[in-house]
Amino acid sequence: MTCDSVSKLIPLYFYGELTPDEEDQVEQHLHGCSECSAGMERQRAFAAALDQRQAEVPPMLLEDCRADLMAAIQGGAPRLAKPAKGPWTLFLEAMGATFTGLVRLRNPIGALALIAVGFFSARLIGTNPAAPVASSPADDVFATVRSVQPDSSGRVQIAFDETRRRTVSGTPDSPNIQKLLLAAAREDNPAVRVESVGLLKDRAHSSEVRDILINALMHDSNSGVRLRALDGLKPLAGDAEVRKALSDVLLSDDNPAVRMQAVDLLVASRDGATVGVLQDVVQKEDNNYVRLKVEKALKDMNASIGTF
Amino acid sequence: MAYAQDAGAVGARLSPQVDSLIRAAQRGDQEAFEQLVRAYDQSVLRLAMNLLRSPEDARDVYQEAFLRVYRNLHAFRFDCSFHTWLYRIVTNICLDQLRKRKVRKEESAVVETSDGPIDRMEAFEEEAAQADPERSMWNRQLKDKIEEALQELTPRERMVFELRHYQGLRLRNIGEMLGTTEEAAKNCLFRATQKMRSVLGDFV
Repeated sequence: MTCDSVSKLIPLYFYGELTPDEEDQVEQHLHGCSECSAGMERQRAFAAALDQRQAEVPPMLLEDCRADLMAAIQGGAPRLAKPAKGPWTLFLEAMGATFTGLVRLRNPIGALALIAVGFFSARLIGTNPAAPVASSPADDVFATVRSVQPDSSGRVQIAFDETRRRTVSGTPDSPNIQKLLLAAAREDNPAVRVESVGLLKDRAHSSEVRDILINALMHDSNSGVRLRALDGLKPLAGDAEVRKALSDVLLSDDNPAVRMQAVDLLVASRDGATVGVLQDVVQKEDNNYVRLKVEKALKDMNASIGTF
Repeated sequence: MAYAQDAGAVGARLSPQVDSLIRAAQRGDQEAFEQLVRAYDQSVLRLAMNLLRSPEDARDVYQEAFLRVYRNLHAFRFDCSFHTWLYRIVTNICLDQLRKRKVRKEESAVVETSDGPIDRMEAFEEEAAQADPERSMWNRQLKDKIEEALQELTPRERMVFELRHYQGLRLRNIGEMLGTTEEAAKNCLFRATQKMRSVLGDFV
């Protein structure tokens, strides 16, 4: 082997990526050639220098990532989602379940159902076990119990509102679905909001959707929802109301990831007010990454970092 | 090559358990999915951190990668190792990020601020040679030079180098992950090494 061909093989030799034959040849050559041996030493030194450039994963980052992921999955879960059970389903299941079965109900609804079992079973079954429960709601009905009144004969009168679950399907563009998505964006359940805002985000050109996204960005308590709303507002980064919302978010949102994205959007289509907003942020921002990002943005705009 | 024990070996070492976790997760078992994530996520996060040098970006990569895994796990047919399949997803996302950065020509680890340049990683790195200012200065210069050298690489070269040098994966495996041949991965590694060594010059 010539020095030229060996020098080309040195990196692969170092990483153990040559065939045994090639390896033998390189070793023989290195044995008798001081120049190539020195080349091999340089390769080792080079690798050792690079070893020092290993990023430390900040403490808690892994745990934060895991928490984010599980929240997103429980929120958006398009794949493994288990069918949600209404309180009545849980209640009726609990009524029929053995005690070991009840132990599995670990969520708060399960706990409520357990209390209900104790209470209702005494009332319903206690004195007259044969008495039927009149018109109990079906499994696909969510019931909200408004009043419970035991009477002197040992029976109980329960008043409840029922909400029947229906399923509709269609493309996110169809008016019916869009109407439901807009309603879903205001639901209590953050999982529903994440998914619906995620679907609405490609339709921000409609003013109704835009308003919902701005509202979600500014007021939603869940940062996953706010991030999706931000994403949806990207094409409207030049819109005056959107910019106003972005400036507010940048100064008041408690989540640095949201603030980082807000900086991107503000800078992407900057206007006369951008520099002032960013200068203001630099003074108030306590997160290093966000501040550095803002400082860099100001520098890119040839603006000073402070206000004088 | 401290990571050589890590990612590449996980799949082989845990194969039977991993297979049963995958099957359970494919049936909808959320706990099995969580365990599957935990078997691999540290090496994924380190890869993203090392490539992108930004906790926020690494967090995004983590989230996107495992959400894709979650959504597409039903399509995993065991025709390659789960590790390879996962890394195809992860490397794709990281390559996209690296390409975007190349286009924007920003985001080196060093950010200029009013107080002079600040290494974004500084907060997370221990300065080993603090007691020896001369050595510390040299280390700092070397670090900057290494950053400069890494900037010279194309995203693909950067990825191959990262997977071989830091993650300790075999080039054949890397080729499989990046949808190319072992030979192409070899060439990529060779080019990466040459480019970096020419930038680092006298430093090593």
